Order: sequence, then structure tokens, then C-alpha cells
Amino acid sequence: MASSEDSLVHIDHFKMQFAGVTVIEDLSFNVQRGETFGFLGSNGSGKTTTLRALLGIIQADSGTLHIDGRPFKPEDGSRLGYLPEERGLYKKESVLTVMTYFGELKGLSKKAAASWSMNYLERVGLGDKAKSRVDKLSGGQQQKVQLGVTIMNDPELLILDEPTKGFDPVNRRLLMDIIDERKSNGSTVLMVTHQMEEVERLCDRIILLKQGRAEAYGTVAEVQNQFGGTMIRTNYSGEIPMSPHYEVTTRERNYAELTLTDSTDEGEILRELVNAGVLVRSFTPSKLSLDEIFVKVYGEQNEPGDT
Amino acid sequence: MKQHNLRTVIGFEVRRALSKKRFWFLTLLLPIAIGIVLALVIFGNTVASNNFDNQSDAEFSFTYSDESGFIDPVIAAALAGTVTDGDAEAIAAVRAGGQDAHFVYPADLTTTPIEVYGVDRGLFENGKYVDIARQVLSMSAQDQIGNPMLTVLAVGNVPVSATTFADGKVASGLMGVIPPLIFLVMFFLIFTLLANQMLTSTLEEKENRVTEMILTTLNPNALISGKIISLFIVGLVQALVFLLPVLVGFFFFRSTLNLPNIDLSSFIVDPAQMIVGALIAIGGFALFTGTTVAIGAVMPTARDAGNIFGALIALMIVPLYAGSLVISDPQNPVVQIFTYFPYSAPITAMLRNAFGSLAGWEAAIVITGLFLLSAIVLRIAARLFRTGSIQYNNRVSLKAVFSRSK
Repeated sequence: MASSEDSLVHIDHFKMQFAGVTVIEDLSFNVQRGETFGFLGSNGSGKTTTLRALLGIIQADSGTLHIDGRPFKPEDGSRLGYLPEERGLYKKESVLTVMTYFGELKGLSKKAAASWSMNYLERVGLGDKAKSRVDKLSGGQQQKVQLGVTIMNDPELLILDEPTKGFDPVNRRLLMDIIDERKSNGSTVLMVTHQMEEVERLCDRIILLKQGRAEAYGTVAEVQNQFGGTMIRTNYSGEIPMSPHYEVTTRERNYAELTLTDSTDEGEILRELVNAGVLVRSFTPSKLSLDEIFVKVYGEQNEPGDT
Repeated sequence: MKQHNLRTVIGFEVRRALSKKRFWFLTLLLPIAIGIVLALVIFGNTVASNNFDNQSDAEFSFTYSDESGFIDPVIAAALAGTVTDGDAEAIAAVRAGGQDAHFVYPADLTTTPIEVYGVDRGLFENGKYVDIARQVLSMSAQDQIGNPMLTVLAVGNVPVSATTFADGKVASGLMGVIPPLIFLVMFFLIFTLLANQMLTSTLEEKENRVTEMILTTLNPNALISGKIISLFIVGLVQALVFLLPVLVGFFFFRSTLNLPNIDLSSFIVDPAQMIVGALIAIGGFALFTGTTVAIGAVMPTARDAGNIFGALIALMIVPLYAGSLVISDPQNPVVQIFTYFPYSAPITAMLRNAFGSLAGWEAAIVITGLFLLSAIVLRIAARLFRTGSIQYNNRVSLKAVFSRSK
């Protein structure tokens, strides 16, 4: 586990109950400065609860939840960009009014907030909508405004709770660009998402939350290794024999996926197949994808809505 | 203690309230209606007052019959009137348009109306016939009395200065009641005009799903305080807009509107009474807005909150229905309960304060109670807002909120 001294976000032995039901049993992790951190888990595993407790929106039962070495206070909001899972804007106000207000709340002067907002709206093709009421905008346009509000204060820490939820492909692309931009500017990004391909592309480290505990924690490669992670994709003729070293997880005509169940070398498996008379046309070892790991970890769960 | 972002919240809330067309439509509706009525009255009075002058220029002539014997033919002639005995012919002449008007003065003027017939000159112009008929009679009567002073005395329209004493001091009377009552009027106006806005102002963060973003930039106490202060400012603006036509009417059109010539210097302003009135109004405002915010935080929608809010309004205005009891018998147990029950206290105590029946120690208890309870309610409201506003679709469980320590 990374040292808490280097970390921007530090959570230690966080516990939380709602109405006698344990949501977070005992959770500890750090997010290092400048990294992009994936906070993963199935619906109801306590991700949103953790973020809300970290930001002081709800009160933790016990544990330490620090941002930059201390509990978060609204006065620190000027350094934070937060895109909550439940998101919205003042619908009956104009786009520019709403953006300027949030900018002021985040420590910008009114003039600076208005100026930044106009530049951003031009950039995302909404320059002519600045004076329109928010509820006159399409859902996708409102998402763009929401993203602008999140990043307008050039945040040091960006917390995104299911950022692509409900986003159309155009806005998803915009979001990814923004995250890349923030990363290159040195911002720290903590994101909750179910989009595993995004995690593999963006995240330096991840944590998998299951039933209020960390099921896996580390770099993407470390987590893949932790789950035993090698899979062999093969095209063949013949009959694949039973073996204690692998499990046939997929079999379609002359194609099969073998998931290794121990640390046997891939070459040994190939020899085993050839010795059993299998004509091997292709043989590709690879790590388990995060998507596959996610299914493996949460596949048997039947969770209610998120908390 | 300085609250982070409080000024930003106040600025935003006041600006957006005052920039709404709907706000100005509702705010200006009543003054415009009053203005239209005033304009009609001014126009009517101007026409009436001009009628006599116009008649002097013989713009219309009339005939009359007089069974009362009070009409002075010289005065009537001076106003272009000609006496006649044939009412039927005179009325027929008017009907045919050959004569402008005919007045029939009956024998008993106290029980039988004066009959006035005239050629139709339009809604406002027609009033001149009645005015002239009365004017001829009035001038004739004054002439018979022979003394202008006696005429005034007979009407009873004489100034009287009354002095009463209470506890060995000159009692302030009605002139002393009105100034502190201004606080009650302001309190009532602001609350009733802004009630709906109070309720929806905190619900909208929840309904618009902006609570979580807001709570990362400011404390719920600052948000709620900011909303309450901005509501107060908006209420003052609204009250001023309402007062404007009244002030304009009083200062610029008093004689035209036949308004009583009130000497403002005759109002007796007791500083202690005014301070007590102001403190009760402010404490009451804080208590009601805090409670409204708490209701808004607990309920998922404005419609759900409306029912409870209705009960709150009823609690507030119930002392007005017992107003005469509050004024005439302040020691009555019902009035005592109203005085000390926080939600009926503001209006009851302000009424009693204005009429001088609220003792100093009673005022101290009411004011302290209102401010203390307001502080408690505001804290509870802030906590409910924090928890309730992220429960977007459900009613908040108070048990759950208060079982968590903070």
C-alpha cells in the first residue's frame, strides 16, 4: 500500500452503517498525487457513500477520511472538481448565470467565472446558449455545462462518480479528453465507473470494492495478477483434454479459452495439448481483462441499487 | 462567525429573484390595480369638482320644481336654473333633448330623494347633474342659516383634541398604536407574499439535484442563512413596491382622492415599543423561515411539503381571528397561550405591543424564546438539509437523521 504521506486522498478504516445495515465494513486506501485512480464495485457496494463521506456530505461512523492531510471542508472546494452521480443544475436559470454562480462558489471572481464560462461554452459549441435557460437545453448540452462547472476552477483533485453515466458518445469523448487534459496538468483524478475499458486506458491504480471491503487494490497489472489472471485463447482441431492446470471457460467449434488455475507455464500447457494429439493452430496467452475480473468478482452477486 | 460564501449565496438568490418576470408580474399586479382604481377615483373626482365651475359658465341649464321651499331662486338662477311647476313637461323636454336637466325637490328632503333627470353625457359627465342638484340645495341651506360658522357646526365637522391618561401619564391613543403596528403589517406581508418562495427555495436544490455540488463549496448553514437573508431583502423590495402607490397617493393626490389630512407629526413613536416590535418581527421571521426550510428538507417535493406548510400558516394567523380578544383582554388564558406558543407568538405579541398590553418582562420572554428557538430550528434545518437533500425521492426519516451524531 502506498504511503499516506504522498497521498492526496487518504482513507483509513472507514466504516459506515445505514439503519443497522453495514454498507462499508472496513475500507482503507490512498490516492497518490497526480495519479488517476479507479474506484470500482458493483451497484450497492458503497462507492458513492465513500465519496460522500470523503467530501463531508454525510458523516462517517468511524475511520479517517482525509484530503491533503485533513478532513474536507467546503472552504477547500476551490481545489476540488466533483461530478456527483446524482447531477443537475438550476434549471430555471440561464446557463451563464449558473456557471458564474458555481465559479464564484469555487473561489473565482464573478468576472473571471463569467469569462471562463464563455470560453468553455464556445469550445464545446454552446456559445450561443449562454443566455438560454438550462431547461431549454438538450440532455447532452446540459451534460456539457455540468462538466464545465466541474472543472472551471482548475481543480487539483477531480472526483467523478460514474462520469459517463447517461452521457452520449460525443460527451463521453469530451469527458475523456478533459480527464486526459487534467492528467497532463498534474491533477489527481478519482473516478467511480463501470466502464472497464476506460479504467484500463486511464487508471494508474484501482480498487475493487465488494461488500464494504477492498477485494483488490493496486495497479491494473497487479490486480490482474492477483486474480490469477492468465488466459489462453486457442484455435485447434481435436479434443482438448481435462487438466488440473486449466479450466475451459469458453468452447466454440474449434476455438477455446482456457483459464489457468495455477502458475503452470504457458509452454507446459502447449506441450500438454500437443501430447494429447490436439492440432494447435493458434495459441495466445493473455491476462484476464478487468471486465472479466469484474464479472468473476461480482458475477454471483445480486445487488440492489447503489448506495 | 463569518460564513464561507454567504455573500455569494445572498447575491445569487436576490439577483435571480429580482430578475424573474413572474416576480415582478405578481409584485406589480396589486400596485397596478390600486393605481388604476386611484386613477379612476381621481378622474371621477376631478370631473365632479369641475362640474360646478363648468356650470357657472352656463355649460348646461336646468329647470327645477321645489316643494320643500328651501331652494333660493336667486342661487338657482345664478347656476342657470329656472323654476317650473310642470314636472311632466320638463321631464319630457329633457327626454326630447330640448332641456339639459330637470330637478324635482320633494317636500320632505330627509326621507324622499331628489329626482334628477338629464340628457346622457357619458358615465363621468352625468355625475354633474347630481352634483349641481346638491350644490343648489346646499348653498340655499347655508344662505338660510346665514352664518358660515354655524353651517360648519351644524355639520359637526369640527376638530377635537382628546387627551387620556394611563398610569398618571398621557396615553398615546391611536396615534401611538399605529407606528408599532407597522412591524406586524410588514411581517404579515412579507411572510404571506414570500411563503411559497420560502418553501421552494431549499426544495429546489433537491429537486434540481445540485445539493451535492453545493455542499462541497459551502456549509448548509451558510446556504440556509443566505436564503433567509435574501428572502428578507426580496420581501422588503416587495413591501416597498406595494407601499409606493400609497405614498404617492398620500403625498401628491391627497386632496383629489379626498384622503384625510393626517398630520404625520401627530404619531407618537415610543422607541422601546418600536425596538420590541422590530425584534419580535425579526425573531418571528427567522423562526418561520427556519421551520419552512426544515419542512422543505424533509419532503421530497413542494407538493408534499405544502400540506405541512399550510398548518404552519394557520398557526401563524390564528391570533388574527382572535384579534379583538387579544386587544381587549390580554390576560385571557387563550391570549396568554397565543403569546407564549412560539408559532402564534409573533402576531399576538406584536398586537399586544402595539396596544400597550405587553409588559417588558413578557416581551423579554417572547423575544428570547423566538431567537433561541430560531437558532435551534435553523441548526436542525441545516442538518435535515444535509441529510434530506441527498435523499432525492424519499421523505427523510427524522429518526435516522438524529440517530447520527455530529
